Parts: sequence; structure tokens; C-alpha cells
Amino acid sequence: MKTKAIVLGILAALCIAAPFLLTGFWVRLITFTFMFAVLASALNIIAGFTGYAAFGNMIFFGLGAYTTAVLMTRLGFSFPPALACSAAVAVAVAIVLGMLLLRLKGHYFALGTLGAAEAMKYIVENMTKITGGGQGITVPSLRGNPAVINTFFYFMMFGLLIIILVVVWRLSKNRLGYAFKAIRANEEAAGVMGIDTTRYKVTAWALSALFTGLTGSVYAFWFTYIDAPTVFDVMWVVKMFVILLIGGAGTVFGPVIGAFILETISELVWSRFINLHLGILGLIIILVVLFMPRGIISLVSQGKGIKDLIPVRRQAKGADR
Amino acid sequence: MLLQAVINGLLFGAVYATIGIGFSLVWGVMNIINIAHGSFIMVGAYLSYTLYAVAGIDPFLSIPLVMAALFVIAYVIQKFSLNRVVRGSVFITLTFTFGLQILIANVCLLIWSADYRSVKLPYSSAGFQIGEVVIPLVRLGIFAVALILTGLFYLFMRRTKTGIAINATALNFEGAKTVGIDVYNIYAITFGVSAALAGAAGCLISPIMSVNPFVGGPLVAKAFVIAILGGLGSTIGALVGGMVLGLVETVGTVFIPSSYQELLGFSVLVLVLVFRPQGLLGKRFY
Repeated sequence: MKTKAIVLGILAALCIAAPFLLTGFWVRLITFTFMFAVLASALNIIAGFTGYAAFGNMIFFGLGAYTTAVLMTRLGFSFPPALACSAAVAVAVAIVLGMLLLRLKGHYFALGTLGAAEAMKYIVENMTKITGGGQGITVPSLRGNPAVINTFFYFMMFGLLIIILVVVWRLSKNRLGYAFKAIRANEEAAGVMGIDTTRYKVTAWALSALFTGLTGSVYAFWFTYIDAPTVFDVMWVVKMFVILLIGGAGTVFGPVIGAFILETISELVWSRFINLHLGILGLIIILVVLFMPRGIISLVSQGKGIKDLIPVRRQAKGADR
Repeated sequence: MLLQAVINGLLFGAVYATIGIGFSLVWGVMNIINIAHGSFIMVGAYLSYTLYAVAGIDPFLSIPLVMAALFVIAYVIQKFSLNRVVRGSVFITLTFTFGLQILIANVCLLIWSADYRSVKLPYSSAGFQIGEVVIPLVRLGIFAVALILTGLFYLFMRRTKTGIAINATALNFEGAKTVGIDVYNIYAITFGVSAALAGAAGCLISPIMSVNPFVGGPLVAKAFVIAILGGLGSTIGALVGGMVLGLVETVGTVFIPSSYQELLGFSVLVLVLVFRPQGLLGKRFY
């Protein structure tokens, strides 16, 4: 326990010092990695802990980004209130959609969320007066020294990461988290034991949406230009799932480890073979699924990882039909 | 105008049925949502295009060749990789087929480049008129072939030993194993048959639609809708689902701007999932 605290302390100190020591390129790269770690951790709450494969989670990312962009350009909001509104919109949509879709199980839920996210993409694209339609929308950018701006977004993403890690760490120990895990293990049994499964499932998705929406909001302010095909792209979720698989779903630090591995690979390999970029990602996905579906973290913490989440070749009857 | 839209919708609906049958077969039998199904259709269309451009083989005639090619590709994929994780959770298989889709898209990009490709048939403008309605010969041919394929598939699943073994494996995995069915081989055959149907659909769309390496996603989105509309594992259901989607899309565009067309498809998907997850026709697969 003590060594763990020391290691975490050193890591945190390094993260805080990093933007003052590294060049802009590296700061941006690490910021991006933090962003993916937050997104994957948010997905982890609904998919890893609660066992619902929310393949449409980019809906909250897109909504967060668009809420911020629209409020800042059309209504002259400054960033902090726009950020808060983005979170509120994402959570509200998660609650409404969750009440409808969380009654579905397994593939049906995955497809329903995917369909909802795609539908939302076309709705946003067609609301040309408000969202700028196919042309996208340009967000007022921060003025000043680029190095300072880089550092600002670095700490925004780092802050989000710390907050979500604390939340997920609490979930791994508290009542709420146990309720989530009980639903994943056996939803009927959890219901019989008195867990209000619908309420907890909606809570899990709303928590996931909260952080995904916040990240989308920061992304819009950071990139200063967004369009619907980019922010509602299903590739966001695919990457989140790959990160979860690499790192270990249902664990606290798995998503962070996964994000760092995936982004490092992306820097080392993809930037050199631009034509093969997608193919290599596809190959990585397939290899990860085939050879380490329980994630890297399961190699380190034997027995503590979640074994029932991904039973490779489970012989009993499929529970998620 | 409306009648023409209805006819167009029904004619194209048969191709949608072919797409939906393969997709819902894999879902029903192995509990896998095959995201790469759209990519198989795309590969079919590319093969048909290449056979036409290089050897001058008409897309209608290249169907058996393309089906055989896709059967082999998919059989090998299932036998040597997907079978390892096929009994895992949604999470795993869905992510796997996503990876497969991306990989296939990249391979197609390297072979055929990002340009739009389609087969330009010499008789593409031929057709006849009944009253106000124009029926293009190519679309009628596509409709007929798609219906024949659907019928053959129906017979395959009911009359052949392999088809019955697929049904048995879908109904009870352990039971099928007990009576001596090589279930993992059956899985590979199922995936192969599904891909062969996708390949045939690819040939059928090649004269009337352009494909580029990125159409796999939009195509599989349509497969979702058809399978959900029809209910899992039902051939007749997929036929109905395909026709309904064809009608919704073509008739919808008469009343609603075409930019909303995609939205319409996905809205139907979500609504059916919420209100009738067992499909329009009623019964679930099991």
C-alpha cells in the first residue's frame, strides 16, 4: 500500500512538472492521451463495472462539444458556464435515453445506443441555423501565448482525469460500485436482492455521460473547430473500447494504462505509415481481443482483476442474449 | 411519383433482404453482431467491379464466383480467429468485428484507392413503362436475383443437413455438441454463408451504387435496421424488414428532405428496439 502511494505520488509530480519541461508537441500528445484516458474511464463505469456495452457513448462527447460551441458562439457564454451546461445536457440526455434503452440487454442495448448516437449526429447536422450544419462551427479561441494555452488544456484534461480516477476508485469500494458490479454479474439476482436495477443502471450511464460530456466540451474549446461527423464519429468509442481491453475493463487504472499504450503505438507506428494507419489499428484490435482480452492489468494484479467480465469461450449458456 | 417511389422501394428492398439475412444469421446463431458485414458487401462490390473491368464478366454472372470467394475468406477468419472468442461477451466480439472492418477498409483502400467505383452496364438505361411507372431492367434483374437467393437460402436452412445443423447449433450449443455436430466448424460455415450472401448483395448493388472503402459502416447500419425490423434468424422476417426499409427510404424522401433520410433509418431502429425488440413479425429466434 505504501509503495503504491509513493509510486502514484511520483507519477503525479511528473505529470504536474511535464508541461514546464517538455516541448509543445509532447504536451499536446500527453493532453490527448489524458483525454482518451478520461473517455475510456467514463465508458468503464457503464461497460466495465455495470456490464452494459454502450457503443453509442460518443453521443455525449458530441453533445458536450456542440453545447459548448453553440453557447459560446451564439449566446456569448464564457467557457466555465458553457462547460457546466454541457455536462448538464449530457446527463439529461443519458437519463432520458437510459430509461428507454437500458431495458434492453446485450447486443440490443449496444445497437440501440449506436442508433441513437447516429440519429443525434444527423439531427445536429440538420439543425443548420443553430449548429452551422455540415459546415461545422468555430468556437472563440483563447488568445495569448500558445505555450500557456497548451498548458491550460493540459491541466484541464489532467484535472478531469484525476477527478474521474477518484470517482472510479471510490466506485471500486463503495455501495454504489458494488451495486453496479452486482448488476453486471447477474441482473436478476441483483434485482431479487433489492437493488433497484433500473435506477442504478441509469445512474451509471449518467455518470459516464457526465465525464464524456465534460471532455467533449473541453475538446471543442481546445480544437476551436468542430463538425458533427468528427465529434459523433464511432471511432471515438471503438478507441475507448480498445483502451479498456488493453488496460483491463472494470479496473481503476486499466484505462489510463491502455490509453498510454495505444497513444504510444499511434505515435511510434502510425505517423510513419500513414497509408496503413487504419489497418494497423484494426490489426491491434484483433490481436488484443484474441490474446489478452482481460487486459494488461490482469498480468499484474492476479486475482484482483475481474474474471467474470470476459469469459473467453464461456461454455455455459450465453447470459447476454 | 408516390407509386414510383413504392415500386423503387420494393425493388431495392429485396437487396436489403439479402443483406439482412446474412447479418441476422450470424447474430442469431453465434450471438455476434458482425460490424464487418458491410465490409463484406463492399468487398463483393469491388470484386464484381474488378471482374467486370478486367475480364468483362457481367455482375449478374460473377455472383457465384464472388460468393465462393467471400465464403472462403469468412470461413478462414472464423475458423482461425473468431472461433477463439466467439463464446465471449458482447464487448469482445463487437470490438473484434470493428477491428476487422477497419482492417478490410484499409486493405481495400490500398488495392482500389479512395475513388468511387461502380459497374457501368451497357444496358443500364433499358427499361419499360407501365402507366406512369418506369421499371428499369437492371433493377428488376437485381430484384429477381435477390429473391431467388433468399428462396435458396430458405431451402438451404430447412432441407440440407448443414442447414439443419446450423439451426441445431443456434438452438442449443451443448445439445448440438452432444449429438456429434462439430459446432466450431458449423460456426465457420455459418460465417461463410453469411459473407457469401453479403458478397452477392455487393454484386447486386455494384451497377446501381458507387462504393468506396468507407461504405462498410453505412451499409452495416442498414443491416442493423433490417435485422431488428425482421427479428433475429428469420428469413421471412429479413425479407419483410428489407422491404420496409426500402419503402421507408424511398417513400420517405417524397415527403421529407433527403438530408433526413439517414436520420429516418436510425430513428426506425431505435423505435423498434424500444417498442418491439422481438421484431415486427413477433417471435424471437429462440
